[in-house]
Amino acid sequence: MLVILAMHYFILSTLFDLPRDITIYDSVFSTVILTFSIWGIILLVRAYPTIVAITVYALFVALFVSSVTVFAQYEVLKLWLHEPAYEQYRTWLSSTLPVRFLAVWIFCTWVGTISAFRKNLAALDSRFQQQVDASALLKEAELFKLRQQLQPHFLYNSLNSINALIMIAPGRAQEMIGKLSDFLRSSVKRESDDMIPIADELSYIRSYLAIESVRFGDRLQVLFQQQDTDHASVPPFLLQPLLENAIKFGLYGNTGAVQIAVNIAMNGGMLQLSITNPYDPDMQPPRGTGFGLKGVQRRLYLLYARNDLLETHKDGSIFTTILKIPQQYVQSNTDRR
Amino acid sequence: MYKVILIDDEPLARQLIASHLQSYDTVEVVAQCGDGFEGFKAIQQHTPDLIFLDIQMPRLNGFEMLELLDTRPSVIFTTAFDEYALKAFEAHAVDYLLKPVIKERFDKAMDKWMRTAPAKQNEGLAPLLENNIYEGYQHRVVVKDNGLIRIIPAQDIYYIEADDDYVRIVTKAGSYLKKSTLSHIEQTLDPQQFVRVHRSYLVPVNQLMRIEPYEKESHIALLHCGAKVTVSKTGMTKLKGLLGW
Repeated sequence: MLVILAMHYFILSTLFDLPRDITIYDSVFSTVILTFSIWGIILLVRAYPTIVAITVYALFVALFVSSVTVFAQYEVLKLWLHEPAYEQYRTWLSSTLPVRFLAVWIFCTWVGTISAFRKNLAALDSRFQQQVDASALLKEAELFKLRQQLQPHFLYNSLNSINALIMIAPGRAQEMIGKLSDFLRSSVKRESDDMIPIADELSYIRSYLAIESVRFGDRLQVLFQQQDTDHASVPPFLLQPLLENAIKFGLYGNTGAVQIAVNIAMNGGMLQLSITNPYDPDMQPPRGTGFGLKGVQRRLYLLYARNDLLETHKDGSIFTTILKIPQQYVQSNTDRR
Repeated sequence: MYKVILIDDEPLARQLIASHLQSYDTVEVVAQCGDGFEGFKAIQQHTPDLIFLDIQMPRLNGFEMLELLDTRPSVIFTTAFDEYALKAFEAHAVDYLLKPVIKERFDKAMDKWMRTAPAKQNEGLAPLLENNIYEGYQHRVVVKDNGLIRIIPAQDIYYIEADDDYVRIVTKAGSYLKKSTLSHIEQTLDPQQFVRVHRSYLVPVNQLMRIEPYEKESHIALLHCGAKVTVSKTGMTKLKGLLGW
């Protein structure tokens, strides 16, 4: 405001050569009134309840406020300097009204628009923050739920098998309890890890398969084919639902022995895991199989924001699931160069 | 002697029930089956007094197998964890055993059955099967065709018609009768695909070719297979709602 006061004074004294007292009065009164007007504009814009066309609104407010301002300036100055000595000044004052109005209006518009934009920005910012928080929470909750859902059915069935073995073959029951404990221990232990070495995931998978082969006996055979992928890492718990799916699909579509093949290889910066299982195209997929694939798809999306990392193919009586895990390897990239 | 059949796809689960049953002198296990097809055959062959039945099994699940049987034995379901099924069992007082099956709980179930077995009371089973207790919809209908079990994929169905105590399922390969009600079939199939256009007709939406006004308040639908079915006033409302006319 002081800058405006100085500018006002400077313009009046140099351009118009007015007497000093008139210049001071004029500039002080004008600036004080303008200050009140600007304050009014900012309050008005802040109080405006919606954000629709707020800049247009600011323009109109500015128009109104500047009219009032200039009128007030004119009246106050006329009243203050009412003696006949100032007659000449008053005439001059009336003639400068349009210029004063224009200057005040531009200034008011500028202030109004800026404060309107600021308000919009603040609102957007808080909404954005809210959404970020919400999605982070949602993501966490969802990941937790997806991990939880994998367990119960498998667990109860395994306990039932152990129950049977206690009566039929106590030695094997003990063995099975060992396998189940291994499996559960590694499930609990790795709950919070982001990425784990592929070797860890595979040993987890093997303990899972050991239990499944006790449950289903000779009917289940799983073959692993692994290229040199020891340096690769994967998010935990993605592979197990896919294998569970393959086992269910395979076992529920057939009554004989079921062979499941797992192939692990590197493919252009991605770790590619493909799982094949036989299936009967005429059969309805057993219940629960949909969940496995959907859950994995959802987790991949939450982790990588991509929907193209899980594919399934049906080829005659063979069902193939392909999972790709992007590998961030700074290390080997630099090695290659 | 009571004849018992064990139907479960896990050998150990069957062995467990068999060993629990060893203490019952009046009970004989006449067969053990690994899926619904085998179970169906064994039940027809042996006409058991009681079966222990798992629900999720290869080829034909436990409920589908029961649906196909004209005379049903007493059933004790054995299941690992199936919230939906459990609620339904309880609602119809059909007995079930949760896996792992513990001897104490097993004996209770046997006691209860022994008390009612001579009368072969099995009242809850029929209404249980009437409900669609699977969450989600089936994509197939299972029928008996000259003693064989035939699985009809939902997309092969032209239309389904009520016929006294039966429903007639018309497909490109021919038509099949199944002892069931149209409401039951309607419940098990996806309502986005199958519409009950009339008290007696259930029609897949993708079979509809043209709908013409017929008598007052009713329409007639021409299907791609060439058949014509009556569409009632409420049927028309459902169609309009589904297809967004």
